[in-house]
Amino acid sequence: MTGSVRWQDAALGVIGTGSLFVLWELASRLGFVSPNVFPAPTTAIIGTLRTVPLLDILGHVGTSLLRIIWGFALGVAAGTVIGIASGWYRAFGVLTKPVIELLRPIPPLAWIPMAIIWFGLGEPSKVFVIFLGAFFPIVTSAYKGMTGIDPALLRAAQTMGLRGPKLLFRVAVPAAMPDLATGIRIGWGLSFGVLVAAELIAADQGMGFMIMNARQLGQVGVIVFGIILIGVMNLITDYFIGAVIRRRIGRWHAV
Amino acid sequence: MMADTAASTGSSNPATAKIDVRGVSKRYATDDANTPPVLDDIDLTIGDNEFVTLVGRSGCGKTTLLNIIGGLVEPSHGDISVNGRLVTGPGEGKGMVFQQHALFPWLTALHNVGFGCRNNGVSAAESDRISRQLIELVGLQGFEDKYPTELSGGMQQRVAIARALATDPEILLMDEPFGALDELTRLEMQDELLRVWSAHKKTVVFVTHSISEALVLSDRIILLAARPGRIRREFIVPFPRPRQRTDPQMIALYDEIWRNLA
Ligand SMILES: Nc1ncnc2c1ncn2[C@@H]1O[C@H](COP(=O)(O)OP(=O)(O)OP(=O)(O)O)[C@@H](O)[C@H]1O
Ligand SMILES: [Mg+2]
Repeated sequence: MTGSVRWQDAALGVIGTGSLFVLWELASRLGFVSPNVFPAPTTAIIGTLRTVPLLDILGHVGTSLLRIIWGFALGVAAGTVIGIASGWYRAFGVLTKPVIELLRPIPPLAWIPMAIIWFGLGEPSKVFVIFLGAFFPIVTSAYKGMTGIDPALLRAAQTMGLRGPKLLFRVAVPAAMPDLATGIRIGWGLSFGVLVAAELIAADQGMGFMIMNARQLGQVGVIVFGIILIGVMNLITDYFIGAVIRRRIGRWHAV
Repeated sequence: MMADTAASTGSSNPATAKIDVRGVSKRYATDDANTPPVLDDIDLTIGDNEFVTLVGRSGCGKTTLLNIIGGLVEPSHGDISVNGRLVTGPGEGKGMVFQQHALFPWLTALHNVGFGCRNNGVSAAESDRISRQLIELVGLQGFEDKYPTELSGGMQQRVAIARALATDPEILLMDEPFGALDELTRLEMQDELLRVWSAHKKTVVFVTHSISEALVLSDRIILLAARPGRIRREFIVPFPRPRQRTDPQMIALYDEIWRNLA
């Protein structure tokens, strides 16, 4: 993609999002929707910044990010290792694939009660649920990447004397990288998705808690602010991950 | 002169056999039992430093035979030995150029060429030096840092040729390596290949669809028949190199091969 096209796309994206916000703002200001139920974005943001101390907000964001980074990092580590191993070692794949397929469709949130019993109400239970959100897309795409490698590449490397771990790490893993990268990106999005839900249950910190707490206090503006904040956080971090991926493999693989 | 060339190539002299294909048959697992085998009882002895070309119609089993010699595909029957030792797998001095170039998309041209060296204990600096030389040999200087997707089909093929040469294998197995090249580049690459072949004493098994290419390059041309895949005929090309396509003797041999192919 050329630079100017990328800028054009970015500009269109901003226009699209901007229009939505303007419409929303107008709808609320002109009384199409009641500000008590669905306040205008500016009202929500300014109102929240007036009532909730900035340090508190940053604390919630920080706590959430820390949880998500832990859960996601564990998900990446386990998903990558297990996915690659099950795609490479046939017997291991036959062993693990049905288990993964069995567990994969279960929504991570369904594990919350289990997580609370296993890990209690503290941090580990939230990290665990976030981990599940990241793990499954990553393990599946790593497996898909490994089993979809062009056999000609492996053969070419074999004719140059590569076998065993060298063939795995110098050829198979790089060849599976594009699929793995896609899985990582999806995994990050899902981690974000389950984060709030995990925090809704039992937490005294975090963006999810902030929203839930605001509901009890009847602060609709804070809820709206929290929702926008989550969207923006996800957008920024996803952009960052996308940029890292593009930097690493974008030159040889269109992302 | 004809006797001279034959002696110097040592063709079909078992004492100097480099590659020995004995009774090789191949049936792919997906073939049903009634179809004739892809390869049927192939016997072929290739001498040290000999240049042998396989020709035959599309689908007659040239790639299969080359892969079997390379140790990438297992024959259903028969065996292959190189230097008198049974072939059990790929590698071990058998360089390959694939019909589908099979470059590593995540590596630049330079690193594709140097891949074999770097992964066999050669220092990065030394393998870069070797790779640069070979990139120049195939006429791609200036493209060292391009990725395969940024190269044309013919350029990719030339990178693949350079890559096969980088580890200096004693045997080169080349599957239509010049297929994607324009006529002029093709002629240049043929010259370069002959130069490398004679300077470095390599044994070459080459696949092509071009009879004239086979005639310019080879000591011996093996014509394969399809399903069952058998050796239909062998032609010794006794003329000294460099050969002229317009030489009446070459034209006569061309016609003879052509008649047998059809
Ligand atoms: N992996 C495979 N599995 C099943 N059948 C195969 C396989 N590879 C090749 N064949 C079959 O074997 C036959 C010979 O194929 P091969 O690729 O060796 O032909 P070829 O002489 O190299 O043809 P071309 O000139 O088109 O490259 C074909 O009929 C093909 O369908
Ligand atoms: Mg072929």
